[in-house]
Amino acid sequence: MTAQRRRARVESAIVTMAAHKRILRSLGNGPTRRSLFGPVDREQLQREYRAALRRDLEDASRRWSFDFASEKPLEGGDFHWEGVSGVRVPLLYRACQEKQQKRPCEAHQPGQSAAGKENIPKTPERCAALPHEVEKTPEKSSELKRKQTNITDFYQAKKRLVATPRKSGQ
Amino acid sequence: MELLCLEMDTIIRARPDPNLLYDDRVLQSLLTIEERFLPQCSYFKCVQKDIQPFMRRMVATWMLEVCEEQKCEEEVFPLAMNYLDRFLAVVPTRKCNLQLLGAVCMFLASKLKETRPLTAEKLCIYTDNSIRPQELLEWELVVLGKLKWNLAAVTPNDFIEHIMRKLPLPEDKLELIRKHVQTFIALCATDFNFAMYPPSMIATGSVAAAICGLQLNSTNHSLWGDNLTELLAKITNTEVDVLKACQEQIERVLMNNLREGRRQQQKQQQQEQGGQRSKALDDQDQSSTPTDVRDINL
Repeated sequence: MTAQRRRARVESAIVTMAAHKRILRSLGNGPTRRSLFGPVDREQLQREYRAALRRDLEDASRRWSFDFASEKPLEGGDFHWEGVSGVRVPLLYRACQEKQQKRPCEAHQPGQSAAGKENIPKTPERCAALPHEVEKTPEKSSELKRKQTNITDFYQAKKRLVATPRKSGQ
Repeated sequence: MELLCLEMDTIIRARPDPNLLYDDRVLQSLLTIEERFLPQCSYFKCVQKDIQPFMRRMVATWMLEVCEEQKCEEEVFPLAMNYLDRFLAVVPTRKCNLQLLGAVCMFLASKLKETRPLTAEKLCIYTDNSIRPQELLEWELVVLGKLKWNLAAVTPNDFIEHIMRKLPLPEDKLELIRKHVQTFIALCATDFNFAMYPPSMIATGSVAAAICGLQLNSTNHSLWGDNLTELLAKITNTEVDVLKACQEQIERVLMNNLREGRRQQQKQQQQEQGGQRSKALDDQDQSSTPTDVRDINL
């Protein structure tokens, strides 16, 4: 019998829940907009962000035996790197500016963004906005950022020396 | 002009794909890989110093409200909570950055699952501008790195259709059951006790709770009788006892949430009545709706 009563309670709870849901929808932008844990310490946040990126970069350098900061291969890792001329690399892997010139579709994007789909043009725009963004941020993070975008450039330059799969990085 | 307005609100959705939903290999694959996306540890004990379980609850409730208000797809919220838990399991985080993390996780989950994802600007407004879009974008990169770019995590929502199609459910109730199951799944995501459970178990427990809550098992007695739990357990390879415990836990969480929600509502009403009578009319109007929705969740 207690199980039955429990079920009945759950059932009535579900009905109440549905009612709340309807009310919630009509509340609009009011109470959901709130700061939960007080003000954010912006400077510390920036410091932590830069430290986190630097750590990611160090991990990546170890994993790929490549110093992404100075863009030089490292000795003694699992990979041996050879340079490849940029012309031989598929268009997709070339630097951002080059890509923009050759792809006419990206030039049209800003005009289309007025069409009301506020989210859709965001991604292509970011590529164009990147140099501008880098200018705004303080020197250290801008350096990290620019180096990071170059990682893909070097995917093409690599030749895998060790055939055995590596367990690190997972 | 009017035609344009009509066009704006259309959300293009793919139809349910029978090749994915009616093939048991898909369910088996989901069951095989789901454990890979669980947080690595119960992080309040071993990683976090500054944040506590009730703070996770606060940020989860806020995230759910944002997803509700923005009418996100159902799986966005559970997926965002998966990102949040996985991040917190590896990175000690300060309390004041928790809401930023929650916003980043919604940002990512929405981009993965929606045709029109939430924008950074919108999310920042929901934090009452305590964070800036620039910060959101920066931390997006950090979170992605910590998640090793593994974003396509298995969520309880992935199992709903696979489970439901194997149950003899009345056709006309399917939509209602689905709604309730999704609601229970969202409820579980707000509660840290469920964070380490495999998604399939949460899904199975939620289906059980929904069917029992709607009392479909008593009307359809001849179809399965008391065997509902056993049938469900078989579908997702869960143990019957564990599943029963999970279902009861879900029902308990629901009761607690509603009780707490009602208490808050009453408290507010009492304050209104006892306090200043001279308040403006629109203020009183607000008091009759549950303005503090944090603990209702749905």
